[in-house]
Amino acid sequence: MAIECLVLGAGQEIGKSCVVVTINGKRIMFDCGMHMGYQDRRRYPDFSLISKTRDFDNALDCIIITHFHLDHVGALPYFTEVCGYRGPIYMTYPTKALAPLMLEDYRKVMVDQRGEEEQFTSAHIAECMKKVIAVDLKQSVQVDKDLQIRAYYAGHVLGAAMFYAKVGDSAMVYTGDYNMTPDRHLGAAQIDRLQLDLLITESTYAGTIRDSKYAREREFLKAVHKCVAGGGKVLIPTFALGRAQELCILLDDYWERMKLKVPIYFSAGLTIQANMYYKMLISWTSQKVKETYATHNAFDFKNVRNFDRSLIDAPSPCVLFATPGMISGGFSLEVFKRWAPDEMNLVTLPGYCVAGTIGHKLMSGKPTKIDLDKDTQIDVRCQIHQLSFSPHTDAKGIMDLVKFLSPKHVILVHGEKPKMATLKQRIQSELGIQCYDPANKDSVCVPSTHFVKAGASNAFIRSCLNPNFKFSKSSLEDKSDSGSQGMKSMPWLQISDDRVGEGILVLEKNKKTKVVHQDELLHMLGEQKHEIQFAYCCPVHIEKLEQTETTDLIPTNDKLSASDKSSVIKKLLVKLSSELSEANIHDFGEHIQLESFHVSICLKDNCPYRITDSLQSKSEAAFFCCSWSEADEKLARRIISIMENCNLT
Amino acid sequence: MELQRQQILQTCEQSLSLSKPLSLQALAAIRSLVNNIPNTSDSTLSSILETLNRSLQVSAPDSLTSHHHTLKLLTDLSLRHHPRLSRLVFDSLSSGSLSLLSSGSARLSADCLAALVSISEQDPDLVFKVDGRLFVSLCFAPCVTVRLWLLRNAERFGVGTRLLFTVLLGFTKDPYPYVRRVALDGLSGLCKSGVFEDVDVIKGCYCRAVELLLDAEDCVRRATVRVIDYIRYTRNVIGNMSANGVKCLYQDAKRIIEQIGSFLDLVHCKCNQFDNWMWLQLLEATELNVDVWLTLCSMVRDMSMEVRVEAFDALGKIGLVSEDILLQTLSKKVLGVIKEKKSRSQCTEECFEISASAAAGAFLHGLEDEFYEVRKSACSSLRSFAVFSEKFAGEALNLLVDMVNDDSVAVRLQALETMHHMATCDCLKVQEKHMHMFLGTLVDSCDYMYPQDEADVFSVLFNIGRSHGKFAVRIIEEVAQEIEPDCNGKLGFDSASVAAFLVLAISIPLSCDQIIHCISPRIFSYAVTLLGRISRALSEFMNQDSLLAYLSQCSRLSSFSSTEFKGQDQSLHQVKSDNPDHSSTEISSAVKIPVQEIGDEASETQSWMCKLRELVTAEGRCHLEVDDEIIKSMNLVLIKVKNVWSLVQSGYTKEVLKILRFCKEEVLTFNTESLGSDGALAFTWQYLQVVKLLAKAWEHFMPRKKLSHIETGELELLLGKLERRLREIRCRFIGLSKEEELHVLELIILTCLMRLSKVEICCYLTTMKKLASTTSHIECLCKEVSIEPSKFVIEVRESLLEISTSSCGTSFSSFPFNQLLDSFFLKKLMLCRNIRHIRAKLDIPDNSSENPLPFVSGLPVAIPLDITLHNMSTENRLWLRITTSEESTRYVFLDPDLFGECSKVQKLSYTAPFYMTPNSFVFMHQILAIIYKVSGCYGLLRTYTKSPSICKIQAPRTKNVFDDSSS
Repeated sequence: MAIECLVLGAGQEIGKSCVVVTINGKRIMFDCGMHMGYQDRRRYPDFSLISKTRDFDNALDCIIITHFHLDHVGALPYFTEVCGYRGPIYMTYPTKALAPLMLEDYRKVMVDQRGEEEQFTSAHIAECMKKVIAVDLKQSVQVDKDLQIRAYYAGHVLGAAMFYAKVGDSAMVYTGDYNMTPDRHLGAAQIDRLQLDLLITESTYAGTIRDSKYAREREFLKAVHKCVAGGGKVLIPTFALGRAQELCILLDDYWERMKLKVPIYFSAGLTIQANMYYKMLISWTSQKVKETYATHNAFDFKNVRNFDRSLIDAPSPCVLFATPGMISGGFSLEVFKRWAPDEMNLVTLPGYCVAGTIGHKLMSGKPTKIDLDKDTQIDVRCQIHQLSFSPHTDAKGIMDLVKFLSPKHVILVHGEKPKMATLKQRIQSELGIQCYDPANKDSVCVPSTHFVKAGASNAFIRSCLNPNFKFSKSSLEDKSDSGSQGMKSMPWLQISDDRVGEGILVLEKNKKTKVVHQDELLHMLGEQKHEIQFAYCCPVHIEKLEQTETTDLIPTNDKLSASDKSSVIKKLLVKLSSELSEANIHDFGEHIQLESFHVSICLKDNCPYRITDSLQSKSEAAFFCCSWSEADEKLARRIISIMENCNLT
Repeated sequence: MELQRQQILQTCEQSLSLSKPLSLQALAAIRSLVNNIPNTSDSTLSSILETLNRSLQVSAPDSLTSHHHTLKLLTDLSLRHHPRLSRLVFDSLSSGSLSLLSSGSARLSADCLAALVSISEQDPDLVFKVDGRLFVSLCFAPCVTVRLWLLRNAERFGVGTRLLFTVLLGFTKDPYPYVRRVALDGLSGLCKSGVFEDVDVIKGCYCRAVELLLDAEDCVRRATVRVIDYIRYTRNVIGNMSANGVKCLYQDAKRIIEQIGSFLDLVHCKCNQFDNWMWLQLLEATELNVDVWLTLCSMVRDMSMEVRVEAFDALGKIGLVSEDILLQTLSKKVLGVIKEKKSRSQCTEECFEISASAAAGAFLHGLEDEFYEVRKSACSSLRSFAVFSEKFAGEALNLLVDMVNDDSVAVRLQALETMHHMATCDCLKVQEKHMHMFLGTLVDSCDYMYPQDEADVFSVLFNIGRSHGKFAVRIIEEVAQEIEPDCNGKLGFDSASVAAFLVLAISIPLSCDQIIHCISPRIFSYAVTLLGRISRALSEFMNQDSLLAYLSQCSRLSSFSSTEFKGQDQSLHQVKSDNPDHSSTEISSAVKIPVQEIGDEASETQSWMCKLRELVTAEGRCHLEVDDEIIKSMNLVLIKVKNVWSLVQSGYTKEVLKILRFCKEEVLTFNTESLGSDGALAFTWQYLQVVKLLAKAWEHFMPRKKLSHIETGELELLLGKLERRLREIRCRFIGLSKEEELHVLELIILTCLMRLSKVEICCYLTTMKKLASTTSHIECLCKEVSIEPSKFVIEVRESLLEISTSSCGTSFSSFPFNQLLDSFFLKKLMLCRNIRHIRAKLDIPDNSSENPLPFVSGLPVAIPLDITLHNMSTENRLWLRITTSEESTRYVFLDPDLFGECSKVQKLSYTAPFYMTPNSFVFMHQILAIIYKVSGCYGLLRTYTKSPSICKIQAPRTKNVFDDSSS
């Protein structure tokens, strides 16, 4: 069994996130986004790869949308209403509430302003939303008998979630976009330590490590304050949801602190509506906002009011939030046209602007003139400040998450190719986790966990319940054998609790597997217990002096008196005890026992365990018959080497 | 009731006879019987006990629940209701325990254990120790709840620590997370109590803990973090390698090397070598620390808030790690130095895996955390490391200044506390970028939201100004506009930010001499208006009075110095004099510090600043506080005295004298010992005497008063006493403020006027001369401190002019001196702290009438003296006057070298020679210490003595001694 991961979008790029994962036979589509950079077919994921017959209902078990950004949800109405997918769609409550706003806004811009052919209508959006099943955080949802999904808080934007999916024994997490550090209004991503086969994570900032957020905030506030103090106007082009609220909280706070009276405006429309949602969805915001909620709703901005068009040319300083973020058109462009020529004014730009927008032009160098179209040219004299706020986690955050979850495999999506490659290397080398960065339309297969169900005998279960831990010190042999520094730093004390490992897996006659306790096995099989016993007849050199006395004795071995025997044994015992000081040697007169190692004098001339081509002549040596069980193999070898090399005096 | 009891017992009996355990109903009935009927007889109780015991012996398949409740009931019975039963229950349980404890059911055994343990804990006579074998066997039983309970309560059973450790360590592998957690908690407890001395054991434990950091359960990870912390601690203690100890060692060694370095030039390079070597040693010793440090750092990114808090708390306790790693915790990017450094771990491979990159940005993450608990913990653990590395302290401060702007009060306070700690450790190096954060955000936030932070904020600002004077000057220059009144002439002192700027500004003169002049003197005057608020915040540095003195001095000093301010300053003084009620007038008159001429001013400023800086140092602090208490209460007494003056004028002399008596008693309530030693007390005492005499004398000038009631010569006597007292005040106290001196001088004038008013007692010329000199002295003083003399003084001065010009020495008696008296009013007198009382005390040891000194008549005798001198200065000279009964007086001059430099209290032993022993067997004489003051200003030699110490010297009555000495 394997997990197959087909990347339809956001493979080695940012935009139109869409990954179809087949996991133990279940197919889930994570995100269904559109690419904002394209106007043609390329804006949507290539859905035909899912099913040649376009029978999506059977091809997919469900769709999961992580958050309401268009590059994650943009293609959904198209897929459901135009392509005809009718299966379940899961998203969090805030996403369900805010996604139609975003979609509608986009549709308007697309159709009403650009006059494009309509891809989906308002009715489509409404219909699509009806199919959506809203889920709560950490709520386990059983999509069907085998497929279970669960949402975890992801930060990023209101309602953003990471999704955990589990089919049988295989489990995976798709992060969507997430943020590992909290910002002014949203918390950091939060997830349990799960056993995962696969983690699919975004990697927008795969190559960036951001330092303290406080410095960034300070910089922003300083720039804004300086501008309004000098009587200028500040234009903050921003997306309606997310950054606008964060910056607003930041500014409102600062305004309170500094007792500034300069008005902050929100351009009417989407943002106001979005603020309302934020106010309602407090439970999805950061801990800070939640804590103060009882006394003050952070989204009740004290200094923020609605903007009236007539105020554009008012002389007094002000701060204005206007959509869209990259000054690609709409109200922010309108205001930009009026305010850009005045050098007292300030325009802040979001961290990322798509090529072709005015925002992008402003970011690349500082142009003095911008050609809007053939007839219009804007004098740009105002100051430009680039925001470095981002709702995405940085490379360290990605590493931290991967380290925390420690999945067996990682797939990177939603990032720029070269940076993804670097991060992939890091994950593999630093964390030792297999990592992939597939391109669009590529498919990655990773092995999945599959457990075989087995019955268990009562004895086995009982043995599992009782603790059975053992301690072991790093053994003597390890030290003496290697003597290396590396071995020296082995743990002094190791603990093992083998209560589960003691079982034996058997396949019963009815082909069912069962785990039994080892004691039961023989009984089950109706067999006797066999033990392997080793034997060796070991020659031991005996000193000359001794030999003179024993020369006569040796040919007539059988006459060897009991006392002689025991004296030789005694000598051997002394020898062994001195060599193996810590071993527990038992002396039984006739023989010596050390664990399972048994040694006695061999009187047979042709002992079967004697290696006859031994170099030592018979006359110089006495023979000891040794036997031992397999468990003490190492010990036995050691004793024998001692015996062979010793001289009994 | 009795019936009920019998019924219950009967039912029990029946069920037991059928060898069934008691039913729950029966148990409940027994419980209610025991609970609800307070005087259940002993016999009943013992029968109940017996029943219960018998019930426990019954073993039936369904007896488990019943036994459980029976045991519970037995426990409750002995614990709560009838403690005297405890022994009975205990004995029966422990004798029957064999069966119960070793019964097949672990749960039952555990119940029995619980009962026995809790009973034995209640009664110190009962000793119960759980057999290790039993403990282990129960732990190993399949019942998880029992295991959990046993492990959690392991300490109560008195199980041997070695066994316990083994069991606990083993159960960290248990599949049940709560068992793991309890086992880890148990290990923490063991580590904490420090029972291990085997390094291997600890290492094993540590390695196990490191494995458990990857546990899936939050609670287990949290417990693990705690264990790791304790292990580190234990390890450090065992190895005697407490990080702090090593650090001390290091510093000692370094200091020695540095000392050598000052003698030898070439040592410099060696010093560096030693440095490195020492660090190496240090690192070796704290190897485990580093390991633990990195391990903990890796936990600060845990997803569980509790784990993160625990990790930061633990981090804060690790004494020392290398600077590289410390710096790494403040940067998310892996620093170059760290990359090369490999952690030399002695543990499992897991340890190796925790690379230094784990430490990256640990504190940064903590300070950015969503939960205030984590931020707070991170803030507080930062403080322990700031001391070790200057660089780290600097970078940490970058982050901390942001934290003072945090939403959570707890975090803000912690951040300030950490900064304060850094400031006290001298590692707070504030840069300009911080300052704006400080002033712009922090100060304002306390304006409307958290006034409780203000004192902390002010104190930090004061510290900053003190150590970064030039920088603070720049800040103040920048914000000067905000401090100044707005166009409407309104001062924005309500604003906390202005207050904060003022605090910063007033701290500047303490940093460096040159820059005081950069601050407009007005700012100090402004600060005076916020005196209470500021002094509360700075209580640690100086009290309100010294702050006031300091502020007014600063405002004067800086105004004299810079010519550009001079004009403004004068106008300021004019404003003050125009408006006598204005607070600043009071202040400038309250504290006068000698400022002689502008030319001499620089040196004056310096000495003043030196004094101030001394004042702000910690040494002076505690002493000042003690004094302050006394001064405060003395000032209260003085206010009362001032208030009685109107009564004196209205002629209620008796009442006044009564009040004054009370006041004296109040003064006496202070330790009589300190009455002598403390200047303020002595001064108040003396002053009370003066006022008493004044009141008495005033009676003579009351129009209603008939002179016949008064004995003749009484006024003269009173005035004589008054004069003496006043003279004493002037001479015996040093360190009087100008105001106090003026006050005393006015009283002298008053006495003179009284004398002049009564023709019969005045010696006109002397008194006039005295009056004139005193008046001019007052004028002189007033000029010095630039305040207006009082109305009374002005009138006196005018009258003197009038007398000298118009009448020109003619009939003096015609001048209505007593009219002048009416314009006198006793002003309020506030004591300053500097008042000191000069005095000497003589003691002749081992001398009494029973034990006289032997002498030979006609020959000199040596008198051993113990002299205690208070507040003597070099300009004082000490004489001894020895008077015998025969009126012969001898003077002995004490060499000033004997008592040397001035100090508060000096003790010396001196043998005074007395040459002229009388020709008698016994004689007695009196020794007086006379303190002369050589005063440069007046060229007068003033003598002053302190409480004549009378001593008797008796010659031996026995002839033997006489004979011996003569022979």
